[in-house]
Amino acid sequence: MSGATILANPAASGGQVAAVPAPPANRPRRDYVSIGLWISLAISALVWALPFVFMFLTSVKSRADVNTAPPWYLPTEWLFSNYADAVDTGNLWVTGANSLLVAVIKVPLGLLLAAAAAYALARLRFRFSKLVLGLLAAGSMVPIQVGLGPLFTTMLSLDLLDTKLGLILPYLAFGIPYQIFMLYGFFRAIPDELEESARIDGASTFRIFWQICLPLAKPALAALFILDFVATWNEYAIAATLLQSQDNWTVPLAVLGFSGQHATDYGPLNAFIIMSAVPVLIVYLMFQRYFVAGAFSGAVKG
Amino acid sequence: MSVLERPPAPPAAPRRRGDRRFLRALPYLVPAAGLYVAFLVYPMLDAVRLSFFSWNGFRTSEPEFVGLRNYVRMLTNDPVFYTALSNSVIWVVLSLLVPMLLGLLLALALNRRMIGRNLFRSVFYIPAVFASITVAAMWRWIYNPTVGSLNQFLEAVGLASWQQQWLGDPKIALYSVFVASVWQGVGFSLVLFLAGLQQVPAELVDAARVDGANRWQVFKAVTIPALRPTTAVVIILTIINSLKVFDLIVGMTGGGPAQSTQVLALWSYQQSFSNHDFGQGGAIATVLLVLSLCLVVPYLVRTLKAEEH
Repeated sequence: MSGATILANPAASGGQVAAVPAPPANRPRRDYVSIGLWISLAISALVWALPFVFMFLTSVKSRADVNTAPPWYLPTEWLFSNYADAVDTGNLWVTGANSLLVAVIKVPLGLLLAAAAAYALARLRFRFSKLVLGLLAAGSMVPIQVGLGPLFTTMLSLDLLDTKLGLILPYLAFGIPYQIFMLYGFFRAIPDELEESARIDGASTFRIFWQICLPLAKPALAALFILDFVATWNEYAIAATLLQSQDNWTVPLAVLGFSGQHATDYGPLNAFIIMSAVPVLIVYLMFQRYFVAGAFSGAVKG
Repeated sequence: MSVLERPPAPPAAPRRRGDRRFLRALPYLVPAAGLYVAFLVYPMLDAVRLSFFSWNGFRTSEPEFVGLRNYVRMLTNDPVFYTALSNSVIWVVLSLLVPMLLGLLLALALNRRMIGRNLFRSVFYIPAVFASITVAAMWRWIYNPTVGSLNQFLEAVGLASWQQQWLGDPKIALYSVFVASVWQGVGFSLVLFLAGLQQVPAELVDAARVDGANRWQVFKAVTIPALRPTTAVVIILTIINSLKVFDLIVGMTGGGPAQSTQVLALWSYQQSFSNHDFGQGGAIATVLLVLSLCLVVPYLVRTLKAEEH
């Protein structure tokens, strides 16, 4: 289970025990330090949260309210209709469905392909497996923008420009290397004895991958799933290059389109911005534990 | 290395055994590697190839080989290139200083037990899950000269003279955009450093305490050395992410005003797609590629070597 124990050391999940007031027996000097630290943290957190507060307040204001009163004033009338307006003018259902469809196909498929490759590199080690791993990983760290021009012409000649498949293929290509790099570490950590005893029991290479290695890497897979979902939902540069018709747009393109076209409708604009981030927020809150814990611990290990 | 999968074969034929292992690995490797080569490696190498051609990107015209002319033009006749290059460098340096140090400080503070710790962590981290393009839209509104929160706040607290055209003044626009990136990026290094701090052996800290070391001494003698691998990862990822910066700038300034927020990644893109000069775009992309590889390759070689043991 060593693959799992790397992850069982989460950065955030220990937080449930948060409320531990310093015992009164402590030296008072230390308490002042703690209190001062807490206060400065609270102030910083407040500053960090302010953009969200202003955004929400503005998202329920009328145009008159926005133009006459500062952002921290409460609205004279809570205009939740801004949200409905924003959905309509920003074509949010269509772009949201596009983004969701791309993510639902791309994320699990990409993870499966990356896991298979990481398994081959980590467990079926052949002569140049290290070199192959290095070549794969290097690609994940190079700016996407380098290849955008040729990517455009490639998709044009494959007749895949402005299609969902044409977007999913490069998304897979750009997501897989990083995932291979992460999963490689987890598969390497699986003890050889486990694999050997499975082989004695007659398990095939595929069964060892499917029934031993994959389940052991579940925490890493969960973390990568969330990271990849968020990255896919947020991706802008490739989508902007490859998608043309508005009906094929993904959410980030819609956000930029909306803030360009309706830049003075601050109520609906902020409503639109908030709604565009709802899916990643839901995913983050649901899987927070894995997200903060596992996502990077593989990287940090090195 | 499992032993049982290959019964005690004499070391006479290691070559063929290696080939067999390779054949067995192929079906697992090919789908991922194929996609990677076709849609990532090939476009990047093609960008390098195009940098030696003159081409407007339209299918109706043929690329024409021009040798190093695009590079010569980039270096001698394109003032925007130098702006973009120096802005990219400024961005890298600032990112190494501000969000990284802030992330480290926050991680050290938030690694202790305290009331509201999880809430604090979430507040600092949530901007990092937002799309950069969304953050750009948020901050463009915050920076709005008339109705934006920043100028209105300055007025409300009596600092009206500090009001600025935050994104409209070429002298400060880059730094205004950078502030938004700090707001978004702190969570990333915070999480990495928190994960790193989890790996500081508690026994070592306890032992040092027992030996009478004060907090600062523990920090210097135990925490900092234990954080070294984490710091290396954060530095390399911060540099890479800084070279990639694109969405924030597209969403907030589009590279303006007067190219003052131009960076390499965006200028390469605009040369190809706005100015229809795929050769120039390719030349700038090549510079970006070489810069990135200079950083990434030594890092990877080191990581993979360390992994050996």
